Amino acid sequence: MFVARTMKKKIVTAAPSTSLFEAQRLMREHNIRQIPVVSEDGTLLGIVSDRDIRAAVLPAGLVPGFTAGKAEKFMKNTLVERVMTRKVVTAMLTDTLEDAIVLLHDYRVNALPVVDAAGKVAGMITRTDALKAFIDALGVGEVSSRLEVVVPDRPGTLAQLAAIIGSFNVNITSVLSTRHVEGGKRANFFRVATLNVGPIRKAIEEAGFEILNPSKFLLP
Amino acid sequence: MKRVAWVYHPDYLLHTPPFEHPESPERLVAITDHLGRTGLIDRMFTVTPDYPEDADILSVHDQEYLNKLESACRRGDLTLDSEDTYLNRHSFNIALLSAGGATAGAKAVAEGTVDRAFCAVRPPGHHAGRDVGMGFCLLNNAAIAARYLQARHGVGKVLIVDWDVHHGNGTQNIFLEDPTVFYFSIHEHPTFLYPGTGRRWEIGKGKGEGATLNAPMAPGAGDAEYRTTFEQMLEPAVERFRPEIILVSAGFDAHRDDPLADLQVTEEGFRFMTRHLLALADRFCGGKVVSILEGGYETSSLTSCIELHVRELLGE
Repeated sequence: MFVARTMKKKIVTAAPSTSLFEAQRLMREHNIRQIPVVSEDGTLLGIVSDRDIRAAVLPAGLVPGFTAGKAEKFMKNTLVERVMTRKVVTAMLTDTLEDAIVLLHDYRVNALPVVDAAGKVAGMITRTDALKAFIDALGVGEVSSRLEVVVPDRPGTLAQLAAIIGSFNVNITSVLSTRHVEGGKRANFFRVATLNVGPIRKAIEEAGFEILNPSKFLLP
Repeated sequence: MKRVAWVYHPDYLLHTPPFEHPESPERLVAITDHLGRTGLIDRMFTVTPDYPEDADILSVHDQEYLNKLESACRRGDLTLDSEDTYLNRHSFNIALLSAGGATAGAKAVAEGTVDRAFCAVRPPGHHAGRDVGMGFCLLNNAAIAARYLQARHGVGKVLIVDWDVHHGNGTQNIFLEDPTVFYFSIHEHPTFLYPGTGRRWEIGKGKGEGATLNAPMAPGAGDAEYRTTFEQMLEPAVERFRPEIILVSAGFDAHRDDPLADLQVTEEGFRFMTRHLLALADRFCGGKVVSILEGGYETSSLTSCIELHVRELLGE
């Protein structure tokens, strides 16, 4: 789960001298909303988003007599370096996916250019990419049955559960362990590759663990 | 009374699990015993299916997958991939015969020999995809019947109603981009039950967008929820789609006594669904319904549900 694996490596970049018109065209062509701005040697200089472009054009649009033709002329004559964000939130090639989602969340950005040790752009990771990576990691949509087990928060319980599931010759396709709403307990989520999950549920309960029974989720 | 085909082959019992398994021949033994005892088999037209044509199987499955399945059986493999989907030396042939049961039922209805058909087949089919068997299923019987009807009986639009408690991921995938086969599934919500697909936003892709409809049911849902879903979700969809024939992937494991799921449907729920579907079939496709057995693992409720299902098909 490293950024280097999840990021898009083939990316569209712009030069500081690229016009807003060209930047917008690139965004539309590639269906993207941010373009990193780089120097000739690939060093990251800034990032320009579709919003930056809109914000630059919009005030002029309020002037009477401002036409589509004039807007196009304005965009062709205005360079990306005038509207780009220079203080860019970036991820490093060595960051984990967890680091990336913290950055995306805490800095409220939609995309992170990923830079190498020399400050050159190696890729991009967007919120969508990060969500996709977690969809895959959680095994959503993979053919499986889902089990939620509440266990006391002490070492060895996860191993115990895995051993029980293993004894049925069934693969675990995904595991997640989190704090439970009740203190001193953890909730473990398993995806197991079997249709017949009943006997596994039973064995887990017989071992003294609490299965979050579907009926407990019943809405009134 | 309506003419109903009873499609069954004694060889369906030859696909036996090498270990304890819910999908066992005892299911069909219980069904045939019960329907025999209640006199219902005598009131249907018995159809003993034959092996289907290769072309009919290949309209759904890849040759490569069939080769893999056949050689696994010949080698004596006990399972296909996991213990869910077991094999014995007969399994490949019986899977073909199971698909042949679905096409035989479809043929009888399409040709008008009977009004409706109930195909008591196994192994079940709706989890099997184009190139993969899983979840007790080897070949997708309902999908093969749908393609068979289109290829050999000039049927344009086929509706598949899948009320097995598990989502029929195989059937959905096979017809995902196909606007001519409408797939409707009502099943326990994928968060709580295998295979973890069939969420409400899975509606088909490309040209098939809108020809897939999923109704996931919360654990504990029963007859009332099923009734509402049939009336408010399925019925308008059928009115728009206007099928020329209806296939049912008839699993009975949404029953409250079934050990594999968490729903509360009763015999009355299955009676209602059958009746409702027959009324829709009468309105749109001359009453043509082919019901193909999928799951249902508690023999007492399985047989009582099928009894009511068959009584409705007979139009008692």
